[in-house]
Order: sequence, then structure tokens, then C-alpha cells
Amino acid sequence: MIKVSDLKKDFPIFDREINGKRLTYLDSGATSQKPELVINEMSNVYSNINANVHRGTYVLSSETTAKYEDVRNKLKEFINAYSSDEIIFTKGCTEGFNFLANSICKDLNPGDEIILSEIEHHANIIPWQMVAEKYNLKIKYINITESFNLDIDHFESLLNSNTKVVSIVGESNMSGMLPDIKKLNSLIREKTNAIYIVDGAQLVPHRKIDVQDLGIDFICVSGHKMLGPTGIGVVWGRKELLEKLDPVYGGGDMIEEVFYETATWAPIPHKFEAGTPPYVEAIGLGAAVDYLTKLDMKNVEKHSDELRLYAKNKLENIDRLNIVHTNSNLAGCTFAMSVEGVHATDVSLMLDTFGVAVRAGHHCVQPFHRKLNLDATFRATGYIYNDEEDFDILSNTIEESIKLLT
Amino acid sequence: MSIQEKVEGYKKTLALFPNPQEKYQYLIEQAKKSEDFPTELRIDEFKVNGCQSQVWLVPEEKDNKLYFKSDSDALIAKGLVTLIASIYSDEAPKDILNSEIDLMEEFELGVILSPARRNGAFSMLKTIKEFSQKLAD
Repeated sequence: MIKVSDLKKDFPIFDREINGKRLTYLDSGATSQKPELVINEMSNVYSNINANVHRGTYVLSSETTAKYEDVRNKLKEFINAYSSDEIIFTKGCTEGFNFLANSICKDLNPGDEIILSEIEHHANIIPWQMVAEKYNLKIKYINITESFNLDIDHFESLLNSNTKVVSIVGESNMSGMLPDIKKLNSLIREKTNAIYIVDGAQLVPHRKIDVQDLGIDFICVSGHKMLGPTGIGVVWGRKELLEKLDPVYGGGDMIEEVFYETATWAPIPHKFEAGTPPYVEAIGLGAAVDYLTKLDMKNVEKHSDELRLYAKNKLENIDRLNIVHTNSNLAGCTFAMSVEGVHATDVSLMLDTFGVAVRAGHHCVQPFHRKLNLDATFRATGYIYNDEEDFDILSNTIEESIKLLT
Repeated sequence: MSIQEKVEGYKKTLALFPNPQEKYQYLIEQAKKSEDFPTELRIDEFKVNGCQSQVWLVPEEKDNKLYFKSDSDALIAKGLVTLIASIYSDEAPKDILNSEIDLMEEFELGVILSPARRNGAFSMLKTIKEFSQKLAD
């Protein structure tokens, strides 16, 4: 069980007041707040052991390297990877998708197909568009139903022998939708030889993930959305696939031997990590994983589910409020909202005056906003440090804001 | 009235509202009171890029002076652009180009005037200066 009032004490930011009010932070979908443990661990690296990893032959460097490499073990346990060599550090999910798109698609043939869904984050659209143009590939989008779920029949109809990549969000940052990954995986395996990638940006911070059980090929993870620092993320991939892929970035640290004409690559994971890695951020992410592991991801999941139901019930009772949220029993605690005749930016600016932080805009899901004929929505997302009181404040202040804006 | 004098006037008025919510309410009032904007002018040519909501600024030249019509689909942004349009309307292009007033500094308008380059107000001012430059050339 998560007791939010105790847990909040671990997060220094909640000592702050905004516009004279308590901070009601409901924008963890954009980035999570950080526990003291993460902040202190990063500060400890800089204060006590800082040296570049993999290079030095002295105490500091070997201590930093050991700590940095140990984060791979923590992440291996956290998502139940087969091996810690399968954990590739990236700048974040966006870099993860760019790396995968470029590395996978250069070996595809013109006319090969990539399947995405209509509700993907731009990070899981643009990299594919860029490589599709370069290599003459086709992108197909799975329809999203009126109840904001994946249209499974439509998905099945899109699968064929030309399908080479399927890349779908694991938890939608707009509707909270949680596709049935195992079911999608078995459909893909049944009908294609495609690679299945999961966008784990919102999924991994909120739910217990077991990549072996899911049967997928790759997952992209964002560090800063799961209590870690910015500038660090992870791509997990099956060892046999990673070994086949070529690196996208060249430079120091990713090589075995370099000649003037050519070079050979280091084994995985290092062949994908050119240059000095963000090792302090990685160590910070390791501390975030420790924090979540201690909390137990089963508890995190339970908290998210209970909070979502409470929030849904509260928000559904607000007059004139239109909520973009899946009708499934299981979903993420994410609510994109709009009010007829009132601009989302106005609502979010008003909410800010009450100390309530939500995001306004298209949340990097512009095509789906366009499909719904919405210029913008404002979005509230709950995380481990949010409780019922936060959503009470949110719903009261939404009502108050609507009054002030009409 | 010069640009500087108009800015001073708004500065005094805004200072009457100590908290951001009242300041926003003042902007909302300005938006509601503003002159009707012909919907046919809500076109890309007049759209200000870089705002979270849609903002339009239409310049008009009369006797070597510039006048601006403005609109937004969001109320607070509309209030802000109404205020900015009135500051720079009825002014000669060279006076607009020479004015170095930092509205972000002058108006304490909280997050909507944070000194970020991708900020909406920054884009509104840039658009006004671009129109002025075209006319001055």
C-alpha cells in the first residue's frame, strides 16, 4: 500500500507553494518529480567519485564505472530482461525510437510496411516517417475506436507478409489506453515476422513489466518519467536482435578496433553507446529504480488503478467537461480534457493560479487531436505522490475556472 | 500617446491586481471588450507562430502609421494580444522598430510573459516588428 502523505516527504518539491497555494502537481505524464534519493545520489557522484567511465585506470573511474554498469543490472531485474547486456542507455524514448527506426529500417526493402496506431506520441511517428521516406517504406495506422481503444480487428487486417515493424504505445499519454500487449504480440507472431516495439514511456513508470512474459522484441523507456533525471532512457531489446543491428552513432567507447579505413564494433550494449555516456544521469536512474523497487511496482500499479477510478468518477461529474479517456476497465491515470467553448490554455492558466499544474496543448499527439477536431486539450496525470485530495482540488478548480472563463 | 506612455499606463493598471488570477481576469475583460475581428481574417497569413493558442495579428497602414487588429481563440491570449496591439497601433513603423521596451520585464504577468523565446508574447512582438520592418524598407 502506498501512503501518499508519507511518500510525499521524500520529494522536496512538495515543500513549495505556487501562487500561495499547495502544489497540486498533475503533470507527471510530462515529467515526474524526483525523490531525494535520486537527487542525493547524483550529487554524491559529482561530490565524491566523479570520473569518466570505461577509460580511467584509477580509483575514481573504476568506482564510477562500477556504479554505472550496475544500473544495467538494476534495470534488467526491473523489467526482467534476459541479460543486462540487453539494456542500452539512450537520452530518452525519443532517441530510442530514432535509433531503432534508423538501425532496423536500413535493411528493409522498398514497400515494406511499418504499423503504428493513430494515437502514437510524435516520438513514435516522426522517426518512422523520416526513415520511410528515405527507404521507401509504407506506414499504416491502426484505427482508434470511439471509446479510445485500439481497433483490434483493424489491426489484424493490416498484418501481412510485408509487415516488418509494429511499434505501438504501451500506455497512451492521452487516453490512458493500455493495449493488450500479449494479445498483440501473438497476433503479430501468427501472421508476420515483424519486430514488435513497445513505447514504454508511460507504461514502465506505472506498471510491473516483464519483457520475457510479454514476448515483445523492444521497449523504449524514459528515465525522467519514472522519478529519474532527464537525459537518460533505455532501449531494451532481445540480445539476438541487438547483436544483428548496426549502430547508428559512431564515436568513442563503441568500438573494438579502429583503422584509418574501417572499424569494428564493441559487443552489445556498448556498440550502441558512442561517446561519453550520461553516466551521472544513468546512476540517478538507478536510484529511481531502487526507489520504485522498494515501493514494489505491484503497489504502484494498484495505486494508479485506484486513483484513476476515483479521478474518473470525480471528473465525469463536471458539467460541460469532455474527457478523452478509454472506457476499458484497465487504464492509465491520464485524462485529456476539453470544455466546449473554452480554450484548454485558458483553463490551464487558471488552474495554475490555484497551484494546479496540468499540461495544455496537443501533448505531442497532434494527428489524433486533429482527428477528434480538437485544437488542444488540458491533461491531468496522476502518479505515486498524488492522492484523492489532488483530484478533489483539480475538479473543484476546473469548475471554478470554467466559471471565471465564461 | 507614445509607446512608452501606453506601456506605463498598462503597467499602472496591471499593478492594481496583486495576484495572477486577477491579472488574467483583467485580460479576459480586455478580450471581451475588444473590437470584433472579422472571421475571414483568421487565415494563416495573419497567424502568429509560436503561441500555444491560435493568435492572429492583422496590420493596416494609414498615413504612414500602423494599426493592428487582433484575435485569438483563447481568452487570456486574446486579452494579451489586444493589449499589445493597442500599444503598437497608431505608431510610425520607425518608432515601433526603435522601441526596445521589454514587455516581459514591464508587465508582471506571471507565466504567460515568462522570458522564454518560444513564448507567445515574444512571437507577437516579433510579428509586429516584422510588419514594421516591411513598411520601413
